[in-house]
Amino acid sequence: MSRINDVGGMAGFPAIIEEPDEPPFHSDWEAHVFALNGALIKRGVYNLDEFRDAQERLPVERYLAASYYERWFAAITTLLAEKGVADAAELELPHGH
Amino acid sequence: MSGDHSSSVISAEVRHVEALLEARGLLDAGEIDTRIDEFLAGGTPANGARIVARAWVDPGFAARLLADANAAIREVGLSMAGGLQEQRLKVVANTEQQHNVVVCTLCSCYPIALLGPSPSWYKSEAYRSRVVRDPRGVLAEFGLELPAGTSIAVWDASAESRYMVLPRRPEGTGSLSEEELAALVTRKGLIGTAAV
Amino acid sequence: MGTDRFTPGDRVRTRATDPAGHTRLPRYARGAAGVVVERAGRHPLADDRAHGLSPQPQAVYHVQFPAAELFGAGDHTVTVELWEDYLTPIEESS
Repeated sequence: MSRINDVGGMAGFPAIIEEPDEPPFHSDWEAHVFALNGALIKRGVYNLDEFRDAQERLPVERYLAASYYERWFAAITTLLAEKGVADAAELELPHGH
Repeated sequence: MSGDHSSSVISAEVRHVEALLEARGLLDAGEIDTRIDEFLAGGTPANGARIVARAWVDPGFAARLLADANAAIREVGLSMAGGLQEQRLKVVANTEQQHNVVVCTLCSCYPIALLGPSPSWYKSEAYRSRVVRDPRGVLAEFGLELPAGTSIAVWDASAESRYMVLPRRPEGTGSLSEEELAALVTRKGLIGTAAV
Repeated sequence: MGTDRFTPGDRVRTRATDPAGHTRLPRYARGAAGVVVERAGRHPLADDRAHGLSPQPQAVYHVQFPAAELFGAGDHTVTVELWEDYLTPIEESS
């Protein structure tokens, strides 16, 4: 089934917006997510296509509401749980935060 | 760097996962910071500009660049090996007859090892959905009005190759040095949403 | 490793089916007729790698399509990079 990432030729997205003098990352956490993904792929925890697949499998409402690196982080935690590195509860912040 | 509420929540979540992975031996202390520093010190549009300027002043280099970009960019001390593995680079040259523009409709493939991070608009659904279907309209929105007689070739980076556009050398630049020519080249020119 | 099935200049048609999982054949380019313009190396099929598999590398090609073939309109071309598994030959009728 065609997935939400497969947008070539689709109508209805908003106008293209350019950001002048855009920094490489908009927050420190984005850089951390970028580096974390590279480290996990390099270690063979998952591969690049599994990572793309995990983003594409996100629930559509969550995918569309998420920023670019929020999708990355959601895919990383999905794969860490599926690969048995940690269970879903361990990956969440402890209560009280 | 932004510090609003949602940003602070996800910052804490990311730190939590990093600590968990360190505890499980899947991440070394300091590894993330090292990777970020290396990445930010690596690719930059200036690398693409250097390649373009060399191609403008050296037709032999331009021919080698279009035939085998990975080999040609090593002549100027650059490579596509900065990422997880060396990727194939394909350079597409603008001519009077044809303008090229690059997209990744399925995700956000881009030669980051060479050119650094891509701009947000390149990763947006807005750009990715429209440029394959109406490139002339999208380029006009970027302020690039092509002559009606110039055809457009869109390149969708759907597999393992990464693309870079070789813009046309602007008129009246015959007296400029290679360094001065490189200073004319923009990131949008390397993607194809600007003339240079 | 086998030999590449296609050479530049060959006319090909892309797979029309809509797979259940990850693929690198964009929806807009399915079931379309195009021309192989260049070889792009050999790589394991992304669809299989997304399932954690490590298949044998297969040929990947730059395949060019007229916009009108993809969208019913437009005078530009779109070149997509496609694995051999996505492609079938178009036999030239005489």
